Amino acid sequence: MSSPHADVQPVDTRRVDAREKVTGAAVYATDLHPDQLAHAVLATATVGRGRITGLDTAAAEAVPGVLLVLTHLDHLDLQSPGFVMGGGYGVQSLQPLLDEHIAYRGQAVALVVAETLIAATQAAKLVRADYEPEPFAVTLDSPGVERLSQPAVIPLPFLADLDVGDAESAYAAAPVQIDAVYDQPAQHQNPMELIGATVWWRGDTVVVHEGTQNASAIRHGLARQLGIDPANVEVVSPYTGGGFGQKNSLQIHIAPLAVAARRLGRPVKLVVSRTQLFHHTSFRPASRHRIRLGADEHGRMLAALHDVEHQTSRFDLFPMMYTETTARLYGIGDFRGRQTFARMDTQSPGFMRAPFEHPGVFAFESAVDELAYAAQRDPLEFRLANDTTADPVTGEPFSSRHLAQCLRRGAKLFGWSARQWQPASMRADDGSLVGWGVAAGAYPASIVPSAAHLVASADGRIRVGVDGHEMGQGIRSAIALLVAENLGLDVRHVEITVGDTRVATQHLTAGSWGTASTLGAVHAALRELRKQLGADVSGPVDLAAAVGATGREHVESRAETLGPGQTEQDAERARQGLVALAGPEFTGYSTFSWIAHFVEVRVEPTTCRIRVPRVVSVADCGRVASPVTAASQVRGGIVWGIGACLREAGEVDPRYGGWLNASLEEYPVPVNADIGTLDVDFIGEPDLRFHPVGVKGLGEVSMVGVAAAVANAVYHATGVRHRRLPIRIEDVLAGTGLPEPRL
Amino acid sequence: MRPFAYTTAGTAVEAVAALAAAGPGARLLAGGTTLYDLMKLEIETPPAVVDVHRVADLAGFDTSGERELVFGAGARMADVAEDGRLRRDYPALTESLWRAASQQLRNMATLGGNLLQRTRCPYFRGGEPFACNKRRPGSGCAAQEGLDRSHALFGGSDDCIAVYPGDWATALVAFDAEVDVLGPGGARSLPLARLHREPGDTPQLEHTLEPGELITRIRVPVTPAGRGSAYLKIRDRESYAFALVSAAVALTVDGDGRVGECRIAVGGVATRPWRVPAAEQALRGQPVSDASARAAGEAAFAGARPGRHNAFKIELGTRTVADAVRVAAGRAVR
Amino acid sequence: MAATEPVYEVELSCAVNGEPVHVRVDTRESLLDLLRERLGVTGAKKGCDHGQCGACTVHLDGRRVVSCLTPAVQAAGADVTTVEGVAGPDGELHPLQQAFIDHDALQCGYCTPGQIMSGLACLAEGHAGDDDEVREYMSGNLCRCGAYAGIVAAVRAVAEQQGR
Repeated sequence: MSSPHADVQPVDTRRVDAREKVTGAAVYATDLHPDQLAHAVLATATVGRGRITGLDTAAAEAVPGVLLVLTHLDHLDLQSPGFVMGGGYGVQSLQPLLDEHIAYRGQAVALVVAETLIAATQAAKLVRADYEPEPFAVTLDSPGVERLSQPAVIPLPFLADLDVGDAESAYAAAPVQIDAVYDQPAQHQNPMELIGATVWWRGDTVVVHEGTQNASAIRHGLARQLGIDPANVEVVSPYTGGGFGQKNSLQIHIAPLAVAARRLGRPVKLVVSRTQLFHHTSFRPASRHRIRLGADEHGRMLAALHDVEHQTSRFDLFPMMYTETTARLYGIGDFRGRQTFARMDTQSPGFMRAPFEHPGVFAFESAVDELAYAAQRDPLEFRLANDTTADPVTGEPFSSRHLAQCLRRGAKLFGWSARQWQPASMRADDGSLVGWGVAAGAYPASIVPSAAHLVASADGRIRVGVDGHEMGQGIRSAIALLVAENLGLDVRHVEITVGDTRVATQHLTAGSWGTASTLGAVHAALRELRKQLGADVSGPVDLAAAVGATGREHVESRAETLGPGQTEQDAERARQGLVALAGPEFTGYSTFSWIAHFVEVRVEPTTCRIRVPRVVSVADCGRVASPVTAASQVRGGIVWGIGACLREAGEVDPRYGGWLNASLEEYPVPVNADIGTLDVDFIGEPDLRFHPVGVKGLGEVSMVGVAAAVANAVYHATGVRHRRLPIRIEDVLAGTGLPEPRL
Repeated sequence: MRPFAYTTAGTAVEAVAALAAAGPGARLLAGGTTLYDLMKLEIETPPAVVDVHRVADLAGFDTSGERELVFGAGARMADVAEDGRLRRDYPALTESLWRAASQQLRNMATLGGNLLQRTRCPYFRGGEPFACNKRRPGSGCAAQEGLDRSHALFGGSDDCIAVYPGDWATALVAFDAEVDVLGPGGARSLPLARLHREPGDTPQLEHTLEPGELITRIRVPVTPAGRGSAYLKIRDRESYAFALVSAAVALTVDGDGRVGECRIAVGGVATRPWRVPAAEQALRGQPVSDASARAAGEAAFAGARPGRHNAFKIELGTRTVADAVRVAAGRAVR
Repeated sequence: MAATEPVYEVELSCAVNGEPVHVRVDTRESLLDLLRERLGVTGAKKGCDHGQCGACTVHLDGRRVVSCLTPAVQAAGADVTTVEGVAGPDGELHPLQQAFIDHDALQCGYCTPGQIMSGLACLAEGHAGDDDEVREYMSGNLCRCGAYAGIVAAVRAVAEQQGR
């Protein structure tokens, strides 16, 4: 939105908190070092499952400087926080350190607190536990895994089986069929900021600094665990060093830290080690997808059946919504979705960027590519020919769907028309096999109750205290741009506080609903502010003059907003720190974000190394609230998709349980040299039916479909289809029809 | 980490004396990228450490000699990787350096320390509860029936199949490098090829240095094959990762297009730096061609003993050697 | 050297961002933990503590190192520079810091101090000649948000400024 005044500078769209981040001034939770700070370190279980039969902490306690060793023998008197997806607040319902049972390798058995980090680290290694081991299962194929149909154990409408039409009959009758299984590994979010917290008591109030996406869950969950009033919990999280879903609820170390801080009367800080972190909090569950697709001779898709199983823990059911999105990609009249839990002996899995949509769409969009080739069609044309304007599940329209435009614009930017259809037919000058792949992606648009508080000052500045968390997505920038453009201000005159329970309820920021929800509340608060100032409903406001004219130093406004169709009950759930979301089905329409990805891979013909020199992605996320940070989010999503397709897998040795490759060396996330040119574009059409300023979500959809586009490109380069991620060098080597290794 | 006593040394002679004075189990600390790392994991628990990272008489290197290249054991990997003469005349050596780790680590790590870098086997580094004869002799080898994708095809035993992870030593062994050491008994030299041990039934013993000895220099005989050399490294990502497979090849090409001198070693696949004479023999005297390069690769991996998940490294390694032969031949002076 | 009493703590003198520091350190203490937990210099971040991510990158006598694998005792007499020491005395940003802002070479910001320190070294070493060289020589700094494209653009922009 441009200003009507010609002399006003163009709006500065750069990230508003970048200066703090490039100078080291941004303070993260474990950067704090309050007076009298004590340091905590965890000791963890070494058995895959079992019972502690003996615990010796004497050697640990004897280390000079050790202040406290908390174990289950210390009667921590904590309640379970409840599982965030089971009506509670925690990353899992199981709170370690309460009894002798060990549910998974890596579970905490002691929290050691000392004067120095060195002493605490040394002492934690000296905690000795004896165990009576019990049998355990840790992979989808392990004996002892318990399978449960999701609707049978969680009879909620949005988790039900999906049956549109009669997919089995339509599939059986289809002349062209694909029936394939796609395997995807467990993966770990690995935000660069380690999980950790600094905790202290101020009188009866416990103060928690932790990088989080959900300060309110920490507040209410910790209150429940400690049996105190939530009013006596303050949570402060101005910066989160990457979340990606791992920081979306109350972590299991917070309550023990609060106990330790109370017993010692001192602040306590814990930074969970990277290796421990693989076992300490959530991860993306392994999943297996059987996809059956049928089409007619003209390339029209007739039927789809998507059967999924994914892993969960013995004590929590992490609900899954894979088919919710795959059912919406195309206008397929007959669709069947079935989702099954595989319970095993790990910590509870949870959300990791595009939690269901990335694996589900990898499988589905791989199968669509297979079907396109089976039908002898160009995979782009095949997708365009199966587009739809109505939601095939509900029959209602989408509030906006510009997927075809994403595909067409992306194809043009990429140069798709020069592609040769035949697999293994394109070569680079250096002899590399060239593959071009395409895939679509979608992500449900959700919205949650939100709150905003504006304070306009006579000096022309405005303070925004708002419900939301900054974890790199650029929420401050989106807010600042909205306020600056709305009032005709310089963005530098907008000061924003997020992630702080002292200024607003802090609903979980996840699921790509953050920007839409927060901006809705800010937008409403701006309307209210204009009223208070006697300003017009739109157009620039001379804030200093307008505030000055009221005779006051400050003019405030507040707004609490709800998503379409939400009620006061939802607002109350949000105030209690519980998830309160609406969407993607609303009255009369459904809302999704859409994206198309075009990927070039080059396969070195000798070693079969796969490189990804360029990617083009075009997104439909409604109005682009903050163009600079939005483009960065999409680039990040592409990097995640490349990592998920070619690099990342949590590896499990079934004899030991837990995770074997629990480090940033052995769990290879992409490095700079893995990433080539990333071109990003947006459709930019506001979705005003869904949202007052037209914003849908972006952070997650940006990753959805990337892995399929990469895998489809590998197929195009080599003629071999890979259905298990990650696609590694040995998979391509084995698949290229070259001589078998001599043994 | 366990407490450790700390002393520094200003010269190599001082270091040897300090090491002797520090008592049994004392260790030398140079760049710290292996030892200090493993001390944090309590896989190494020396009671005392002698810091040699500032020993001036170990720090230099000279690549201008007519008979040999001389590298002080304390020279930093990054500095040697930048040496213009070495880049031109021994590209396999500089490539083995700059393709290792990250620039930060190469700024820290020394040439001598890097030779004795310890394995990245996850069962070794993972500590309890994993069985590992190298870490806890007699406890078994979890890798044998486990996730052995990164493990050795050569030089393993029933007690250990952990890979020697270094790149520099893999390149050096192809060049017949010698190692000078200084110890309580004085100075001596040994071929690099005899510095590392195979695990056998004592995988906890990884090298042949006597207690109290310090590596002072690495010497490489000058060879025209240096110009025609290459170090290729295949990893799970494009940088900042250990080798799945690597190959060091150095050769000369005669006037009639046939391979003359020929040196080949492979990394990421063996329990120690692994020279492959059979591959050299297969290539020597042959015309440079895709077929002869492939034959050299096949000869290099002829005796491989794969486990459950690492058989692919035979074909991958064969092709990597062949690629390295082609690159090296392209660089060779004819 | 004669046998002496074992030393488990050392009086360390060094300079951090130009300020003299005198502190008694445990021989086990890493430079990273010294900076963060004792000196309150928290720009360098802990992402792995084992040299596998680069978030703790600082300059030691002008060279980039990972401070997590640098025993603090090895900083004796050295000049340590962290991200806090990069901007000018009156807060004027270094051109690379400004380029990170202009190219949005960051998201969550947690790896950014390490990226800046590594980027400065990459420029000083002469390893910013083209995009691929920057990619290789910046690969010791993981960015989980995936800001790599912006990081390459920022380093290259400053390299070109300096080249002029």
